[in-house]
Amino acid sequence: MTENKSNEIKIKTVNLSFYYNRLHVLKDISVEFPERSISAIVGPSGQGKSTFLMIFNRLWETIPDARMEGEAFIRLKNKWVNIYDRSISLPELRRSAGMVFQTPNPLPMSIFKNISFPLKLSGVIEKQAVDEKVEFALKQAFLWEEVKDRLSDDARSLSGGQQQRLCIARALTLDPEILLLDEPTSFLDAGSGQIIEDLLLSLKESCTILLISHYMDQIRRIADRVMELSGDTSNNS
Amino acid sequence: MKRECFAETGFLGAAVLSASLTALILIFMLFLGFPLFRGGCFFTLLTTPWNPDKGLFGIYPMLAGTLSIVFLSLCWAFPLSLGASALISVIAPTGFAKFCKKTVQMLTGIPTVIYGFVGVFLLVPFIREMFASGSGMSILSASLMLSMVISPTMILIFTDTFESIPASYSAAADALGASPVQKLLYVILPYSRQGIFAGLILSVGRAMGDTLIALMLAGNAVAVPGSILDSARTLTAHIALVIAADFDSIEFKTIFAAGLVLYVFTTSLILLVRIIGGMGMKNR
Repeated sequence: MTENKSNEIKIKTVNLSFYYNRLHVLKDISVEFPERSISAIVGPSGQGKSTFLMIFNRLWETIPDARMEGEAFIRLKNKWVNIYDRSISLPELRRSAGMVFQTPNPLPMSIFKNISFPLKLSGVIEKQAVDEKVEFALKQAFLWEEVKDRLSDDARSLSGGQQQRLCIARALTLDPEILLLDEPTSFLDAGSGQIIEDLLLSLKESCTILLISHYMDQIRRIADRVMELSGDTSNNS
Repeated sequence: MKRECFAETGFLGAAVLSASLTALILIFMLFLGFPLFRGGCFFTLLTTPWNPDKGLFGIYPMLAGTLSIVFLSLCWAFPLSLGASALISVIAPTGFAKFCKKTVQMLTGIPTVIYGFVGVFLLVPFIREMFASGSGMSILSASLMLSMVISPTMILIFTDTFESIPASYSAAADALGASPVQKLLYVILPYSRQGIFAGLILSVGRAMGDTLIALMLAGNAVAVPGSILDSARTLTAHIALVIAADFDSIEFKTIFAAGLVLYVFTTSLILLVRIIGGMGMKNR
């Protein structure tokens, strides 16, 4: 990557290292990700792929004995921000960089309440605005048609694939600029996985997506670029 | 094989023994209190006042004393415990939270009589000065001190409940940008309803069974209290006072009525906790 392309860069890290107690998992990583693309992160287990994603929403900070060195930046509303700057508001950062986990994690409440939960957190309470947002997010996540008549059902009654799309919809409610996905299809059957892949391709238009995946065929189908995390170095291609 | 068999019999024996103790205590109480039951006397005891000169040995005043002290002490202890456990498990930074939790654990180990001393020498004079009425030995003093006695256990139960929330819920709330307080209000508290209720009921049992605090701080007057500054006697304090002074009179018999009432109350509370726990398992 060269300097003149920097206006298209959305996420970058500079000399990033990460430690769990004495275990050194990420070693001096300097990498850049362009906006409106799907970047796949691959590599053997235990090389810190999930940790790498958590750098961008600071979710690792709740883990005891974890420590980070180096810097990480994202471009929000066309302004570069240092994620670890003291002036950054953590809730705001996490609303701009949504995360979807390997295991679908709906909260123990209704489908509607799950999707509107982030709105409640950010203080949106006007009924009509909430309804519209929820419908839009569910449509964006290809889930609206399947759940529109049962929005008050417990979210945990959905199938695994539906739950995962629910989690994606929930992350989309606040119009994030970045989506961090940690092996989102690994617990799903092929059909549900296919729907999520199509969904990610459609979201690429509005979001910058970082995706951890173990499936080479999935990466070939949807990823624009691949970053490999292995023992000592990270390779970009 | 032989050793295993031996151990099995041993454990079975221990289990049967401890389980039958509960039943035996009940039978013992019923047996010794039996004279009271003849002629339906037991239920009149619960509703009549205490006036030995007129031959009235009702335990109604003690029942009223117990209920008012227990209720009031929960009014102090419940909000305090809820707040303290929210601080420990959600809001405070890790180091400070650990320190608080250790302190609370230490508090559970302090003998009740020490709390009683603190009450007699610090709280009672304070209440006396502040409200300028009576000796300061009152429902208010006893309930305040009793809340200090039951809070540590309640805090630990609540903390455990809050920390047993599934990691995936916690991660979901964090990743969506919930502040610690929002996470507490919208995710942890709704999920912990049953644990909070169970902790509350166990504390009621604890408060009801406590003898020393009321004995030392409530003044032990045998009258139905009219205000929280009045002196009162609890069922447990009544048992302790009568047993120390007397044996084999009608007065003495009333302590079995008091004991039975306490037994029935605490046993039904524990059963209630079981039922709630069972409902909780089904819901998850």
